[in-house]
This record gives sequence, C-alpha cells and structure tokens, in this order.
Amino acid sequence: MHHYRIWATVALALLALALPFIFNSPYYQHMLILILIWATLGTAWNLLGGYCGQVSFGHAAFFGLGAYSAGLLYLHLGASPWWGMALGPVVATLIGIPIGLICFRLRGPYFALAMLALGEIFRLVFLNWVSFTNGPRGILMVAARPGKILFYYLALGILGLALWGSYLLIRSKWGYYFVSIREDQEAAEALGIPTTRYKLYALLPSAFLTGLVGAFYMNYVAFIEPNVVFSLGNVSVMIILVVILGGVATLWGPTVGAAIYIALGELFRAQLGAANVLAFGVLVCLVILFLPNGVVGEVDLFKRLMGGKRRGDVGGSLGSP
Amino acid sequence: MRKKYWLWVLLVGLAIGGLLVAGCAAKGPQTVKVGVILPLTGSEAMFGAMEKNSFLMAYEELKAAGKTNIKGKEIELLFEDDQGKQDVAKAAAEKLVNQDKVVMLSGGYTSSCTKVIAGSAQSMGIPFLIVTGSADDITKSGWQWVFRGTAAPASKYTGALWDMMEKVIKPQRVALIFENTDFGTSSAKAFRKACEDRGIKLVFDQAYEHGALDFKPMLANMKQTNPDVVFAVSYVMDAAMIVKQMKELDLNTNLVIGGGAGYTMPEFRQNAGDASEYVASVSLWVPNVAWPGAKEYFEKYKQKYGSEPDYHGAQAYATMYIIADVLNRAQDLTPEGIRKALKETNLTTIMGPIKFEDWEGFTNQSRPTTYVVQWLKGKLEVVWPENVASAKYVFPVPKWKERG
Amino acid sequence: MALLGQTVICGLLLGGMYALIAIGMTLIMGVMKIINLAHGSLVMVGMYVTYVCYRTWGLDPYLGMLVAMPVLFVLGCVIQHFLINRLLEVESILPENQVLLTVGISLVLTEIIRFIFKSDYRSITTPYTGEALLVGGMSVSIAMAIGFVIAMVFTYLLHLFLTRTDLGCAIRATAQDREAAQYMGVDARRVTVITFGLGSALAAAGGSLLLPLFYLWPDIGHLFTAKAFIITILGGMGSTTGALLGGLTLGVAESLGATYIGMGYKDVVGLVIFLLVLLFLPHGLRSLVKR
Repeated sequence: MHHYRIWATVALALLALALPFIFNSPYYQHMLILILIWATLGTAWNLLGGYCGQVSFGHAAFFGLGAYSAGLLYLHLGASPWWGMALGPVVATLIGIPIGLICFRLRGPYFALAMLALGEIFRLVFLNWVSFTNGPRGILMVAARPGKILFYYLALGILGLALWGSYLLIRSKWGYYFVSIREDQEAAEALGIPTTRYKLYALLPSAFLTGLVGAFYMNYVAFIEPNVVFSLGNVSVMIILVVILGGVATLWGPTVGAAIYIALGELFRAQLGAANVLAFGVLVCLVILFLPNGVVGEVDLFKRLMGGKRRGDVGGSLGSP
Repeated sequence: MRKKYWLWVLLVGLAIGGLLVAGCAAKGPQTVKVGVILPLTGSEAMFGAMEKNSFLMAYEELKAAGKTNIKGKEIELLFEDDQGKQDVAKAAAEKLVNQDKVVMLSGGYTSSCTKVIAGSAQSMGIPFLIVTGSADDITKSGWQWVFRGTAAPASKYTGALWDMMEKVIKPQRVALIFENTDFGTSSAKAFRKACEDRGIKLVFDQAYEHGALDFKPMLANMKQTNPDVVFAVSYVMDAAMIVKQMKELDLNTNLVIGGGAGYTMPEFRQNAGDASEYVASVSLWVPNVAWPGAKEYFEKYKQKYGSEPDYHGAQAYATMYIIADVLNRAQDLTPEGIRKALKETNLTTIMGPIKFEDWEGFTNQSRPTTYVVQWLKGKLEVVWPENVASAKYVFPVPKWKERG
Repeated sequence: MALLGQTVICGLLLGGMYALIAIGMTLIMGVMKIINLAHGSLVMVGMYVTYVCYRTWGLDPYLGMLVAMPVLFVLGCVIQHFLINRLLEVESILPENQVLLTVGISLVLTEIIRFIFKSDYRSITTPYTGEALLVGGMSVSIAMAIGFVIAMVFTYLLHLFLTRTDLGCAIRATAQDREAAQYMGVDARRVTVITFGLGSALAAAGGSLLLPLFYLWPDIGHLFTAKAFIITILGGMGSTTGALLGGLTLGVAESLGATYIGMGYKDVVGLVIFLLVLLFLPHGLRSLVKR
C-alpha cells in the first residue's frame, strides 16, 4: 500500500471517530448509524456478490437470523440481547453452510432466485411459528437503551471489521480465486480451483457479518418482526441496490452507496412529500443507466482512463483500497 | 460522457443541497409544535391521508373556536411520513424531536411503526399520543410517556360483543379465522381465551396470510366443521373476499362477526356488494354513534374530501381535540408538564370519553367503548348495546339462498 | 372428496390465470435472460387501464382488457427500448444491474400510479362477480371459470404465434441463442423490444382477468411478480407450455397446501416446490414433458 493511502485511511478513520461530535444532534447520529449499518450489509454482501459473483437475493435471511438470535435470547431466556451479537453471527454462519452447499450448484439468475426463495421461506416460517418467535407481533424490548454515541461506535467498529476483513480477504489468494470464479467458473475449475468450497469461503464471512449487523439492529431499534428483518423488498433488494449504487467489487463502494441511499432517501422523504419514493426510483434508474459500475466504480474507471500508473492491480475488479 | 458529468453534478448538488437544507431547519419559536407521524406514502397511504385530513379538519374547527392559541402561541402541526416502515418512523421521530423541537408526538398507524415511535418517545422523554396503533404490548410495557386514547388494544375490541354473545347469540360452535398480523394474532388470542373461559367450543381456528386471492380452501374446510358463528379478523379487502367466497360456497352460519377494522369500512361494502349484508362486526366507532359531534364529523368530512371516513379518521379527529385540550391545560410546555396534563385528561370526544388510566397491566390507556355493528340494507348500524342502537339486530341471519 | 375436488378445481382455475401473467415473464426472461422484477407493476398498470375503462365508459373488464393490452404493449416497448436496451450493451461487472434497473422501473411505475389514483383500494363489480355454480358440492366461481377459459385461449393463440409466424420464430431463435439468431439475420434489438411489449401485453391481460375477482391498489404488483417468476422457473424459462404447466401446478399446490396444511403456510408450499425444482429440475417442468 502506498504511503499516502495509509495516511488517507488514518485520516478517514479519525474523521469517522469524530463524526458524532460534529453532527451533534441525535437525529443526525441516527442517520449516521443507519449509514454504518447499511455500509456493513453492503460490504458483507459484496464479498459474495461483487467479488465472487454469486448474487444473492436472500441476504435478509442472515440479517433476520442475526436479529432473531438476539431477540429470542431476550424473549425466551430473558438474557440481554447483547449476547445476541455473539450468537447471531454464529447462527447465521452455521445456517449459511447448508444454504451454500445446496444453492451453489446453481448459477447466475437461478442462484439469485434460490436465495430469494430461501429468504422468503425464512420470513414465512418465522411469521407462522408463533410459539417460538411470537410471529407477527415481533419482539419488543421494553427496557431503556443506552445512548446513540455508544451505538455509533459499535456500528463503526462493526463496519471497520467488515472493511478490514474484506480488504484482507480480497488481497489474499482467496480473493483471486473469488474473482476467477466470478469471471469464468469453468476456467477456474479447469485450473483446479474447488469452486464450491471457495464460494462457501466467500459466503461464510458474508453471512457472519450480516448476522452481526442483524443482532446489532435488534439492540439498536429494540423492535423486530419477521416482515421487517426478513423483508425481500426492504432488506435483500436494498442491500444489492446499495452495493450497485456505490460500486460492486470495490472496497469502499458499499459504504458510499449506503451514504447515498440513506442520505438521499431521507432528504427526499423530508422535503418531497408524496413524490419522495418516485424521486428515489428515478434516481436509481439514472444511476444504473449512467453509472453502471456505481459511484466508486466509475471513479476507478475515470482514473484508469486518465492513465494512472497501476502496478500489479487487476484493474477495478479487485477494488482500490 | 457528457451525460455522466451531469449526473455527477446532480449527485453532488443533491448532497450539498441536502446538508444546507438540513442545516437551516429550526424555525422561530413562536409556535407550539406537535409532530404527527403517519404513513403518508406507501401502501397505507389511504389511511394516512384520511387521518391527516381529519387532523386538519379538527384543527380548523379548534382554531375558529380559539382553542389553538396557547398563551399567545399557535399550535402548529408538523406531519412526517413514515412510509409504513419502522426505520423511517424512527428517523421521523428523531427529526421531529431533535430538529424541529416538537413538544409532543402523535400519530402512529401501523403497529410496528407505533412500537418504534413509542420506544423512541419513551427513551427521549417526550409524550406520545397514539392515534391508531393498537398492538397490546405498546401500552403494556409500563412506558410512562406513551398514551393511547382513541385506539383500543387489539384484545379489547370485543367488549360489547361478548355481552351480545351471552344475551342473544349464545354460540355453540365457533370458527375463528384471522390474518397473520399483529392485530389479527392479538385479537385472535384474546378471542380464543375468552371462548375458553366461557366454555365455548372452537371448531375451527386458522391464520392466513393477508392479500390472498383464494380463500375457498380454508372456507371449504371450515364449512365441513359446521360452525354456527364465524369470528374473522381481517383487513378490509380480505374481508370482502372472504364473505364473497362464503356466498359462492353457500357457507351458511347464524352470524358472521368481524373483528373490527376490515368489516366496517365502506370499501368492504363496495367490494363485497350484497355479500356484505347482515355481516356484523365489533367496532370502536361508526358515524351514527351517540357521541356529540360524530355525525357532524362524518358529514363534514364527506362533503369536504369527497369520500367517507371510517373510524381511523375519527381517531385522528378526536386526537386533535385531545391535543388541544391537553396543551391548553398544561401548566407549562415542558415534556413533564404536558405529560401531567395528559394524565389528567377527562374529555368527551366523538369517540366517547377519554381518560388515561392504568388497568389490567395497561399504562396510560383509555378504556375503550365498543359496539357491535351490522350491515343492514347497505348501511352500517349500531345494534349493541341496545340502549345506543340505531337499528335492531338481525339474528340468526337468513341463508344465502333465502336472500332476495 | 368434495373438499379435494373443490381444492383442485380452485387451484386449476386460479393457476391458469396466473399462468397467463407468467407467460409474459417467461418470454421476457427467455429472450433477455434477465429477471424482470417490474413485471408485477406492469400487471398492475394494465389492471388500472382496465379499471379506468370500466369507470369512464362502463366497459366490461373482459373488453377493457382489449384496450389494456395494446397500451401495455406500447409501454413495454418504450421501457425496453429506452431503458433496458441501453444496459444490454454496457459493460459492467455484474449483469444484475439490469435486475436493479427493473426494480427502479417498478418503483417509478408504482409511484406514478399512486400519484394519480392514490393508495385507495379499487374494485369493480360486474353482474357475474360473486356468482358461482354449485356442482356436486363444489363451488366454481363464474368469473374464475371465464377467466380461465380466456387465459387458455390466449395461451393457445400465443403458442400459434410463436410457432407459426416469422416473428414468433425470430423470438424463439433469439431466446435460444442471441448471437446465432443475429447471424441468421434477426434484428435482436428489435425482437427484444417487441418481446418485452408482448410480455407486458400478456401481463395486462392476465391482470384484467383477475380484476373482477380481486381488487386493485398500487402495491398489488409485488404479489404477481413473485408468483410469476416461481411459475417461470417451474416451467422452464422461455417455454409457454412450461409456464402453463407451472401455473397450474402452483395453483393446485397452493390450494392443497391451504386446505391440508393451513392457509398461513400456503406460500411456503409454493416456495419449497420452487426451490426443489430449481435444485433438481433446472430446466423446469418443460424438461419433464419433452422427455
């Protein structure tokens, strides 16, 4: 890594640490926390979807599993849902294994749809299994929650973990395997790469992080129900949107995408009244049409076109940390 | 390439614009701000719009009567859209309290949004007066800052019904169907328990996912169990589908009773047509209820907005009156002052008397007045309790084939 | 026994109408190889057009359908030509951009309709709404029966179109192998545009058939999108016979699930079948038929 990149990252980290004090109001802090949540979700998804090319339309399953791990501990055992932050990712990862093993035989859109179906099955099961999950009434935490600052730093920590993990993973041999699977699975197999195993290696950290965020969500919002945390339209699809907006297969893409999604979404909602969702939909179409590689992806493209020197990088595909 | 530049400019411009706008949020403190969070867009927008209109209508009337002036400052209603999504509701609550500095919150339509707003209000120490959200646990959590007057807990909709059940209906075999939502599940749970307590046999008990097209499999199953009374908790369009398909199946019972909401709305009648005739329901409010101002509200709303309001609108209208009453009575406009005033409320509204009490594990919950209503000759009539009835009930109802 | 018969009949009738909607999607998916998540909103728009015809001119929905279809055809062509076609030529890392674009389109369509019509529930009543034939203890809704018949007619007509006409063959060729078709002189872009239009028109038809049975509001699209692609996968992408079989299968499966397991779990039945077919019968039911 170049020296200036190290300094840039440190500066960014310091800025991130200082943000809740710059934006002093709980309202802005709430927005920041949401951005962090979605940035982590996007970064996690990106591992499997962007780098490894397995587009999952069912990541809400992991999010919901994480959230419910925390929630069910609270509901049935009276335990503090903070324990869920340890249990959630583990549950999500463990369940990710059979999911992956089953679904990775499928390719492209079929895989996407299989994950979508799984996400929905989870939602319906959690909705109907009332004795276990409290069904549509959800899980409501009554006790007072700590202040936003704590949640902010926690979310920041989780995002940091996700980014750092992604960075290490992508830079390693595994990262190359992921991209090779994405670009041409047959060729990768011909080279002797056990593709199913490596797809799983991409899925597991992805599920882990998503489950972690889910448990965090339970703690932060203090209320979950299956139609919220297992939602196809509001969680699974939006995660993909965030990543595509920001740039698939880039390290910072999902974070930028999350910032755009939350900030612009809220801006439109607060200012545009009845037309806010319409404006958002139009924006999505515009960005996809004209910035197909996402904001960060297009920046990379721009730099490449300008003839920047790159030593040993495989273009924008591996991301530009 | 040029198009891309424009898109960049647009994005950056939006980002800067956003920061600027957000920056100059605070207005002058010459008004008493009340934040109202409703689903103004999204799938529940129909109700959000109805409630907003009702709020505004009530506000106009109060203004004309001079009640919106609190010690020299006007009450100002700030509406925020929660899109029916709980994360957005939380953001809206944060914005209203921290940016716009409202003195109290109101609104709350969907159960999940209401829960999240209530939790936020409780932790921020701001009074929240719920309009519609009826999940039991919102007022069963011991939250001192959360008040619910015009909305009954889902399990308490059936007060008047049980009275009528005992005196008139005397069911032997009851079928229970309910939608798979918070409201449906809570109502069903309470109903089930009430049947158990009274030794009434539940011969059919099933949940369904709302929005289905074909209820016939479930209804055919139900027909086989031969119930004499059906209790159904449904959203409005499901309710219409259910009774229409009951007719198609020639499923005859002594009475079909709805669990509130779906079965009392004008859309139910419009979609179900004559299959809706003789269907009864529990209700918190109908236009010809005996409380002063109810009928006038209905007529005025219909004239002004061109559509008929239902009890959701009445809830919003009554809540505005409560808000004005509370703010006028509050000794000071601090959260604690308003909370105290709320606690001392004793007001008669178009939905009946409102008094926030603690009972049966509920906190700050007004005791609901409930009715049994029935669709007779295309109109929704109050049939129980008899002393406030607008028409005589029909029981048992005629079979499908016997109807004209 | 009557219960079983009732269940199966309901399932078949409903499934037939779902199939019509799904056929539109399977055509689009077959030719374009993308998941069109805007399909449900196209159905919704078609239903609104039919609704408007009913309200303004008192047109019976089965006639209003004939108005909705060309309108949606044009709309579909426009969307494909100006929006989606652009993406087919752009190089991006993931082809899933197209899917997200359809999500955006779906949002825009839904919100525009909501703007015009508000979120109110709309319904229409026709003389045969709510009428049913009672045959041997089983109830057959007349509106369902008529809808089913019309759906079958359309399916057959479509089949004829795809097999007997030049354009139909061009569509099938493009679906099989886009590049080979282009070598044979087929204008793939034009075919794609027409296919999207055709798929949209069929979606509108399917929706209009359901209008007398159901009700209408801007968010109704999501329900149809979900069913449509379950059926598309069940039947095999690009196959009209498959979509028909898939539709009937899904209808019956859901019905049986609703009767014998419980209505809350009815959608789970469809999804599980969907997964099983995805995993074990990748080319859908069509491959079972061909064998």
